[in-house]
Amino acid sequence: MNLLVLMIALPLLTAFLLSSINRISTLAARWIGPLVLLATAVIGLSVWPQLGAAPLALQWGGFQAPLGITLYADQFALLFALAMTIGTLLLWPRSAENQLRSSSLALLLAGTGSGLALSGDLFNIYVFYELMTVVSYGLIAGRGTSGSFASTLRYLVISGFGAALALAGIALVYQATGTLNLAQLAQLAPEKLNNLQGFAAFVLMLIGFGVKAELFPVNMWVPEVYATASSRVSALLAGVVSKLALLIIMRLLILVFHQPEALTVLLVLGILGVASGELAAWRARDLNRMLAFSSIGQLGVMFIALSIPGNAGIFAALAVMVHHLFLKPSMFLLAERWGGSIEKLAGAARTSPIAAALFVLLALSLIGVPPLPGFWAKLLVIMPMLALDQPLYYLAVFVMLAAASLEANYLFRVVMKLYDKQPAATSHKVHATADLATALFLGGGLIAAVFMLVPLADRLDSIAAQATDVSTYIQTVAPQQLQSGRVQ
Amino acid sequence: MTALDTLLLISAITVGVALLAGNWRVGGWLVTILYALQGAALLMMSGLGYSTLTVVQSSFSIEVLSEQLLWRFDALSWFFALITIGAGLFSSWFASGEWGERYRDNGGSLRLFHGALALNVFTMLVLLASGDLLTLFIGWELVSWASFLIMALAGGKAFGYAMRYISYAFAGAMALLGGLLLIYAEVGSFDFQSLKEAAPQMQASTLWLLVVLLTSGFGVKMAILPFHLWQAKAYAQTPGPGAAFLGAISSRMGLFAFIVVVVQLIGISRLVEMEIPFTFLDAQDLLAWIAVFTIIIPTYIALRQHDARRLLAWHGVGQTGYMLLGIVIANDLGSAGGLMHVFNYASYQAMLFMVVVAVIHRTGTSDLNKLGGLFTRMPLSYLAMLIGIIGLAGLPPMNGFVSKWLIYRSLIVDGSPLLFLGAVIGTLGTILSVYKLIHNIFLGQLRVEHVAVREAPLSMVIPMMALAVIVFVTGYFPGLVLDWTSAVQASIGIPVLAHHLGGVSMKGGLDMIWIVSVLLIGFGFGTLVFFLGGRSRRVHQLDNYAGGHFLTAETRYHYSDNFYPGLMHLIGPWYRNSFEWLERGVISAVDTLSTAMQGLYRNAHPSYLLLAAVVFALSWVIV
Amino acid sequence: MHFLELLVELLLMPILAFVIGLAMVLMMRRIGARIQRRVGPPVLQPIYDIIKLYSKDTQISHGLMHEIGIIMAVGGYIAAETLLPVPGLDGLADKGGAVTLAYMLMIPALGMALGVGQCANPNGSIGISRALTAMLAYDIPFILVIFGASYVYGTTNLAEMISIQQQQGVSSWGIVQMPLLALTALLILPAIMGKHPFEIYVAPAEIATGPMVEMSGKFMGGLFVMQCFQLYTAGVIFTTLFLGGGVYWITFLPKIFLVVAIPMSVAYLFPRYRTEDVLRLMWKWPMLLGLIGLAVVMK
Repeated sequence: MNLLVLMIALPLLTAFLLSSINRISTLAARWIGPLVLLATAVIGLSVWPQLGAAPLALQWGGFQAPLGITLYADQFALLFALAMTIGTLLLWPRSAENQLRSSSLALLLAGTGSGLALSGDLFNIYVFYELMTVVSYGLIAGRGTSGSFASTLRYLVISGFGAALALAGIALVYQATGTLNLAQLAQLAPEKLNNLQGFAAFVLMLIGFGVKAELFPVNMWVPEVYATASSRVSALLAGVVSKLALLIIMRLLILVFHQPEALTVLLVLGILGVASGELAAWRARDLNRMLAFSSIGQLGVMFIALSIPGNAGIFAALAVMVHHLFLKPSMFLLAERWGGSIEKLAGAARTSPIAAALFVLLALSLIGVPPLPGFWAKLLVIMPMLALDQPLYYLAVFVMLAAASLEANYLFRVVMKLYDKQPAATSHKVHATADLATALFLGGGLIAAVFMLVPLADRLDSIAAQATDVSTYIQTVAPQQLQSGRVQ
Repeated sequence: MTALDTLLLISAITVGVALLAGNWRVGGWLVTILYALQGAALLMMSGLGYSTLTVVQSSFSIEVLSEQLLWRFDALSWFFALITIGAGLFSSWFASGEWGERYRDNGGSLRLFHGALALNVFTMLVLLASGDLLTLFIGWELVSWASFLIMALAGGKAFGYAMRYISYAFAGAMALLGGLLLIYAEVGSFDFQSLKEAAPQMQASTLWLLVVLLTSGFGVKMAILPFHLWQAKAYAQTPGPGAAFLGAISSRMGLFAFIVVVVQLIGISRLVEMEIPFTFLDAQDLLAWIAVFTIIIPTYIALRQHDARRLLAWHGVGQTGYMLLGIVIANDLGSAGGLMHVFNYASYQAMLFMVVVAVIHRTGTSDLNKLGGLFTRMPLSYLAMLIGIIGLAGLPPMNGFVSKWLIYRSLIVDGSPLLFLGAVIGTLGTILSVYKLIHNIFLGQLRVEHVAVREAPLSMVIPMMALAVIVFVTGYFPGLVLDWTSAVQASIGIPVLAHHLGGVSMKGGLDMIWIVSVLLIGFGFGTLVFFLGGRSRRVHQLDNYAGGHFLTAETRYHYSDNFYPGLMHLIGPWYRNSFEWLERGVISAVDTLSTAMQGLYRNAHPSYLLLAAVVFALSWVIV
Repeated sequence: MHFLELLVELLLMPILAFVIGLAMVLMMRRIGARIQRRVGPPVLQPIYDIIKLYSKDTQISHGLMHEIGIIMAVGGYIAAETLLPVPGLDGLADKGGAVTLAYMLMIPALGMALGVGQCANPNGSIGISRALTAMLAYDIPFILVIFGASYVYGTTNLAEMISIQQQQGVSSWGIVQMPLLALTALLILPAIMGKHPFEIYVAPAEIATGPMVEMSGKFMGGLFVMQCFQLYTAGVIFTTLFLGGGVYWITFLPKIFLVVAIPMSVAYLFPRYRTEDVLRLMWKWPMLLGLIGLAVVMK
């Protein structure tokens, strides 16, 4: 179990040591980051099977919960910790001048991300979340262009507000219950937080953490940031980091906040996110912005999925998240050399046929064409919603389906441009091999998923079941608390 | 391995071979032979077409979301599959010879063309084989994207039309998905049988929502009003025989799915119970009227086209209305007529497109104002087109007459004079329009630049002639096709039409064997009478009455443009492009919303929003 | 033997139709002449005309389709007549009813159109364009009439319609049962026959713009024969639908001649309509009458 701590500690440690190592050997400094991430990924994978049977909890720092730092690892958390680690590894920043800085930032991101996923109390979550935010500022601004600075500033302002709100929410929770340990909160929530205050706390935290999860209306930073940051960073932020923020919200929903109003808020904001994102993407004239807007839409779908009560919602959200995890980074990588006006893409398929074909595949899966995984994920979201038979959920289904039609329209406008027979005046840049290979790897994952639908669905279902099992959570973290009552 | 497995396997192999060998000299022929093999595999199941077999299962099935997905053929699938494979076979044959070489020389990829065609056939077979609602949707989407592929092959303008198609098609697919999932929510299963059992107990409101969603979903593919705008241009731009294939069968998939879900499972009797408040109409009438307007409006749009392919493609949209009308009427006559019209229409529409493509092959244009007099140069193509237009216009002795007769007769039995009137108005418009087509291409003055034109190569003429034979023979012996439609009627639970080889056995029935024989004998007597007269002398086409002027080869002496000025004086102002306006309206609404959203993301100060949210939340807590 | 009888019937029906048609042409000319205070042609004039046309020395053919077109025009009518039951001869009436007949009658029109098209004379094509437009004009009210009659008699079989009317007497005749539809049919009858005042597409007076522009000799003769059939068919259909048909020729013949004569005598009084005016007229009054008539018979 202690190995899991390494998933957090190793990247953080390496990040801090990186400049020293660089003094000794630049070659080592260049390679140690990826190697460490590889090692952490291997650690994570080795722990994976044993978590299937029972989740693990770890008290860090020598104190028992609720005083100590609690880490909680179930397959759900580990999945995202692994996604963070492997994602960073695949999307390892490659800039010539600031390699050292971006390497250490990437390591920090991986470390804090894993920490966030595995944390078992709200305060740690907040700390890791803040750390991650700061690291992302660095990554986004890493390009050093004026545009990226401007967008970073916008991101910073919004994130700052978000953090303040989240903190306020946490404060409200603490004021009501006197603890921040999630297991303990789970025990106390039905009694102490099932009221207006609890709801307010949830909304504050939702908006606060929602900044990263591209929640409407605190996602105004998204288009500018993704359009100006390097594609790998955009891919990381949109593909992986946003999911971690979502993970927090999922944990809160499962363990602490059970108000039906909470679900309604999620649903409404999700619908607004889908509608606004997809509509805005429809008019986007460059690929990066288009992808940014569409990722707002996708995250909106995840919020909608989360708003479905019970296990089905978590399962559906998980399916959509995993799908997006593969798809969005791959798309952003393809957009790396296809930035700027879409008009300029005319005929790009001739110079880079593989990339264009991959783009078609990704687009098809994104809009949900069977038998690609995107379709099944969408099906999982819509089916339980219709079964609920409530007007707002019908509206959500309508918005999702209409949004998919819009999505098909604008994505295939790009495809049409790619395959245009009259090439644009400017010559097209070919993708870097590493970018293309990564994108292909992720796209290959999607295709592989088509053939493993059933086992995959079963696996996700069991992960969701484990994640929603509140009593196991409480028992695993603090068995003695249950016996002795809560410590004041 | 069942016969269905064999069929699907061969079809998949065809796709592979087409993609691998499409560019070879013999590639096209290989693919054509494979289509013939598919046909043979289909014939192994011919019991389906004669009610001796009820269903052929595929041994392939998967389980997803605790739903057993399965594929199987019944009489309906078999009937549509027969047309699909036939259309594929003849189109591929047509494309294999000189047409293909020319296409390749002009920079087209034959590999892609044959691949796309084979993929279309394969996906259609998968759709036709669907055994539950989920496989139906999967097949549906596969078919949509396959036809998108073949439409987009030509590039340039075709991209725009293909794009329009896929926007319509995907929106339709989403409506369909909504409908199917609604069924799942109501019924708890994707199974056909469960829906059939649950349909009688469904609430009227749910049923209305379902019918609207499903009909718009299927309707987009059928291009019924108001979703008809995409089809004609997209089909017309599809390369050569691809247009013949798409025109013949592609949009019939919508009809197939409509029959399966709405007619077979929900049932027309349920539709009749669904009354529209404050009117005399019910859902069945509504669908019938949609069908009639789908007949009339596109047919009269076709009348105004001056590109042969567009003209045909618009008629394709119009003819869909007849099929839908017949099937919605759902008595023994109407449904047999609707189903038979699918077959008949496919046979002559494919042929007509082939003729037009052959003309383009020889002359380089399909502009009806730039052709004329080709009868003397391409007599066989002319013959094919003549047979085709008689079929399309629905006149005896071709097969198109029989199916239309059945539909008219069903409307008389049903007592719907206005629907009948609408159907006939469509037929009359078709006659006007197809005469213009054949006149402007084949009759009248031969242009100087076309003097050297030869008959189309054999690789094109043979498929055309084969189709012409089918059109004539199934007109002479409609019982051949009525056997299959009766099997379909039996399998979807509609009263079966009593028929014999020559037509319909009922009071005031139809016997085409007599009618056609009499007509042929009549022509014989006509010939006799003609040759009783004095010997005639052939003159050069310029040896003509020209009001005292001498004609030269350069004189344009052919009446083609604005062919029906008298009619257009009156009905010209009725063409208002209302649907184009509607479409543009929707697009600009989306555009406006989109601009607003972008403005939101670009300009609005998100921090204010956040602050507002904070104040709101906190005040809530405090109060 | 039944089959042989049928064969004889099939042979007899077109011949009878032709002979009666000739007489109708004669009558039409005579009526026209009387109205214009002329004497009019002698009794055998139509036959002389046909013999003259068929035996002319100069016969100009504009190609194979020109010839086939004429053959289709005549042959199509010969076939159509067998679907039209007359006293004693039912022919193929039970093999295809009124709807089949209506569509069979388009075959000769199509044949003529194709033949004219092959002539490569735009003036001929203009005539066809007008003819087809006129067909669109009168066929729409005509189809209302067919529908109404089929509805009232409960069958599309023309022979059955006759027997229903014969058995139940004058009060069951179409003209009593559905007077409005009968009036509609009467109004469009001249157009169906291509006669005054709807004969702009034939344009007999200014032959330069009409289907006949390139027709000479037996081609013209073919069209002449076609005209005989046309008059006869129109008369018989109207009689069958509205005037009880006939079991005896002696009562049948006056009816059909009357049907042709009435519109003829009225029509000569009107000037010719332009093509779009034909449309406007046909789609207004006959259409309105037909719809009201239908509403009445269907309640």
